[in-house]
Amino acid sequence: MSEPIISVKDLSKSYGGVEVVKSISFDVQKGEIFGILGPNGAGKTTTLEMIETMRPMDNGQITLAGIDVAAHPEEVKEVIGVQPQTPNFEEKTKLTEQLDFLASCYGEKVDARELLKRVQLEGKADSYPEQLSGGQKQRFSITTALVHGPKVLFLDEPTTGLDPQARRNMWELIQQVRQRKITIVMTTHYMEEAELLCDRVAIMDEGKIIALDSPQKLIKNLIKSGFKKKQQVEQANLEDVFIDLTGKALRD
Amino acid sequence: MSKLKKSLLPITTFVPIDIKRLFRDKVAIFFVFVFPLIFLLIFGSIFSGDSNVSFRVALINQSDSESATQLEQLMKDSEVFQVDEEATNREEAEEKISRGQLDGIVTLPADFGDIAEGDEYPNGQIEVVYNQANETAGQTLGSILDSILLEVNKQYVDTSVPFTVETQTTTKEGSTSFDYTFSGILGFTLLSLGIFGPTTVFPRLKQAGVLRRYKVTPLKVWQFFVASVLSNIFVGLLALVLMVIAALVVFDLNMRGNYLTLATIVLIGTVLMYGIGLAIGGWAKNENQAAPISQLVVLPMMFLSGVFFPVFVMPEILQQITKFIPLTPIIDSIRLVITEDASLFDLGNEFAVMMGWMVIIYIIAFRLFRWE
Repeated sequence: MSEPIISVKDLSKSYGGVEVVKSISFDVQKGEIFGILGPNGAGKTTTLEMIETMRPMDNGQITLAGIDVAAHPEEVKEVIGVQPQTPNFEEKTKLTEQLDFLASCYGEKVDARELLKRVQLEGKADSYPEQLSGGQKQRFSITTALVHGPKVLFLDEPTTGLDPQARRNMWELIQQVRQRKITIVMTTHYMEEAELLCDRVAIMDEGKIIALDSPQKLIKNLIKSGFKKKQQVEQANLEDVFIDLTGKALRD
Repeated sequence: MSKLKKSLLPITTFVPIDIKRLFRDKVAIFFVFVFPLIFLLIFGSIFSGDSNVSFRVALINQSDSESATQLEQLMKDSEVFQVDEEATNREEAEEKISRGQLDGIVTLPADFGDIAEGDEYPNGQIEVVYNQANETAGQTLGSILDSILLEVNKQYVDTSVPFTVETQTTTKEGSTSFDYTFSGILGFTLLSLGIFGPTTVFPRLKQAGVLRRYKVTPLKVWQFFVASVLSNIFVGLLALVLMVIAALVVFDLNMRGNYLTLATIVLIGTVLMYGIGLAIGGWAKNENQAAPISQLVVLPMMFLSGVFFPVFVMPEILQQITKFIPLTPIIDSIRLVITEDASLFDLGNEFAVMMGWMVIIYIIAFRLFRWE
């Protein structure tokens, strides 16, 4: 593979004497969807926030698009887009105004309505964020994160709390972003989401990366080691039933 | 785009959006525009009454003589007395005195105005009862009644008095007490708009993670500050223009100075007060931190800057401290412009204090600011 777009080396972080990220290293390749998986408190969000320049690192080095993150955080901010775990926006502010302002922070002017059209929110252009449903809010949040055309997009649990239709829609949206050659780093709790979207995943536990590979490879390795599921897997599950009954169309 | 234009873009984009946002919020409109007007109406009516001294008295007329009736009429017509129509007997009147609702009881005894045997004209003695705690009022009441009786006596005995007093008003048009109070009301509005706004809004935005969202963009703290200050100047000036109009229309404010000078002071005052709010709201992580600190700053400023009490009634030490409180030069210069037509040049000292505070406050605000 070519030169990695993100390179993390020996990254550590402690809070009040407790080491939440323990000297981890990994690379993210240009154009891939990289997933960070793990239980709550594994250090996923902290790792993400150190790469995003939101938290100072204790130790280690991060290079993003050739920029040393610790040394030039302002330059990094220009080339990344960030979707926080719970996106919130100023109330009583139209979606177009939010986009105009966020774009202006990068010194750019955008066609806000056109951007909203891409995520089927053109009808909500003059609405306020507090009037959006959970799925709409997530779609809008991704739009704000992409407003300046970043090279890397960070998504922190983008589908947590969404209903199945909204989640599927979000998956499509993430794949569309990938088609625009934007590298995506995301965290998630949902394994089927990681399996479907991610080219490679890092599994974190207690501040360490305990596995890093493509989902298919990780599964193969597990089967090779003699693992067998205790139960025969059904050809469909309850979610399939739900989607079959209620349809795939967006409901928000 | 040039680099300068690029760094000004967030500011020119933010200000109109921020102003529109305020006008969409009914609660904000109330606090920014309506509440100061209500405050003005209430305090304005308290202080706009004419400043003449008057006494609230109970008049107990037990006599039916012509002189007693004449005197009763004189007192009721006089501007110096406010005769309480309800307190007509002694007990009721005494109770009102003890509650501080009356300054004195004036009694015309039953024999007042009777013509004693062998006399040519009527005589009598007025009794005045006053509260021990208010001796000055009682004595003044006595002297005023004396001078009224002097007029009455002239009907009967022609006396010429060697020494007299003649009173005249000053030729200069006087300022009403409202004109003085208004500067305090404006100062209070500047204080509350500047401080209560950002100290409630910023902590709320931080808790919702809204400011954190801006932190991941290249937006700089100074850009955010300039944008917020500009939008606040617009809103603040608008609120104060409404107040000046209300003062002119409702309370006949005698504005002697230049409106441009007044606007300059109000502008500086707005930015200065907003800086204090920005420092507190920008530092506080949540409303629990912001609320007590803002009270701690607002209350002493309110009481020591001459908003409610004139500074000269305070002890000497407090008067000295007062001069260096940021709100004092604002209120002083507003008052000097309104009542004495002071020019910017006359207000050099006040400006020096304001500018000194401006630098200090914004350095502190800049240092303490955090996005989350």
